[in-house]
Amino acid sequence: MKCEQIAELLPDYLQDSLRPEQNKIVEQHLAACADCTEVVALWKKLAILPDEQPSPASRERFDAMLHAWQSGRAETLATEKRPSLGSIFDWLRSPVGAVAWSLALLVIGAYIGTQLGSTKSSSRDLAAMHTELDGMRQLVALSMLQQESASQRLEGVSWTRREDRLDPQVLAALKHTLRYDPSVDVRLAALDALSRHAAQQPQVRSSVFDALQEQQSPLVQVALIDQLVEWRDPQAAQHLEKLRQSPNLNPTVRQRADWAISKLN
Amino acid sequence: MLQVRNGAGETLGVLFDRYQAPLLNFYCKLTGDRGLSEDLVQEVFLRILRHRQTYRAGTPFRAWIYQIARNARIDHFRKTRPQVPFEPEMAPTVNPADPAQRQQESELLHRALMQLPEEKRELLILCRFQELRYDEVARLVGCGVSTVKVRIHRALHELREAFHQLQAAPADSPRRGAPQNFPPRRLDHEV
Repeated sequence: MKCEQIAELLPDYLQDSLRPEQNKIVEQHLAACADCTEVVALWKKLAILPDEQPSPASRERFDAMLHAWQSGRAETLATEKRPSLGSIFDWLRSPVGAVAWSLALLVIGAYIGTQLGSTKSSSRDLAAMHTELDGMRQLVALSMLQQESASQRLEGVSWTRREDRLDPQVLAALKHTLRYDPSVDVRLAALDALSRHAAQQPQVRSSVFDALQEQQSPLVQVALIDQLVEWRDPQAAQHLEKLRQSPNLNPTVRQRADWAISKLN
Repeated sequence: MLQVRNGAGETLGVLFDRYQAPLLNFYCKLTGDRGLSEDLVQEVFLRILRHRQTYRAGTPFRAWIYQIARNARIDHFRKTRPQVPFEPEMAPTVNPADPAQRQQESELLHRALMQLPEEKRELLILCRFQELRYDEVARLVGCGVSTVKVRIHRALHELREAFHQLQAAPADSPRRGAPQNFPPRRLDHEV
């Protein structure tokens, strides 16, 4: 067999995953071909590259990071255990309610459209329908961002990702979520959603600057710092410097802020 | 990992103990920079905490963590170009008990590895040292299994050529061009 044909089998031979008969074919070729034998020898020779051993400091850094995350999570869980006030209208705020009244709005919109728009062109009807749908999506997102359950609020955040440009009301709701939502996961999701719109909507950056000074969760603080480094905003360094001066700042966050300042300068 | 996803952060310690050494070796062989590699290992576990909700039950954890590891490195180099070129002092430490020839071969081999283009070096490391199967690597880098095999074969030939050149060159001769450390493409759906 020629080298080109063996080339198809050789990678599997190296990982010892050939069938016995294929293995035999390769070995017969290797016995007669110095070139392929050398490639196989090189693969085996790679084993002489030594293994690096992690330093004890690595585990300490990890423990500090995990501790910071757990403290932030404990605070979050304590905040989330608030009693909720029951109401006969609560179902309207549930996802089912939100979808129900959104559909109702759509039907009303369509009815009004057929009544008033019979003389207008179909393209105008379509445009109106698109606007209606955009409005409905925004309503659903806004409604879900106000739910009691963190997973429903997460879903609300993901609804906002379907928008090319955030409506001012949705933007305000997301900014509010980033600053005040009791769940760390929802705040992180809100940051991710907001960061997608930073290029088109400059006010997003100011909301991240504000959140940086107010956040208590180290995990969210680190995520905000990373976001600032990614944007390379000229104002970021001064906000990070201000954060560094906070007396009770978590050591991991302080370390991250130092790193970020060094990257930005 | 499911326990970590559902809030039991302390379980992450078990995963850290299991994966920190393989990840450290992945990064060291890929970048030749131990300090940076240690930072990137920490970054991987921070990302696991931040993105734990994206882990799906039934997904092989090993493939998922290497996905995160690749992205952490790609994002790092995207933010901090230009990359520091490989220097001999960055070469991995060799067990002093090894014979001198073995140590020299190990250094040459590491230098030859660092001369490979980034994508080929990464594939070779994933398949040879991280014990990932070709199909797992194919999913990781977003190409077909046969493409991975072809690239591995070519990478080995290039490695052999680089190794021969280094062996033939006098010890104090200038090194061939700096490694092509351009990070590979990041897949859109990745965390």
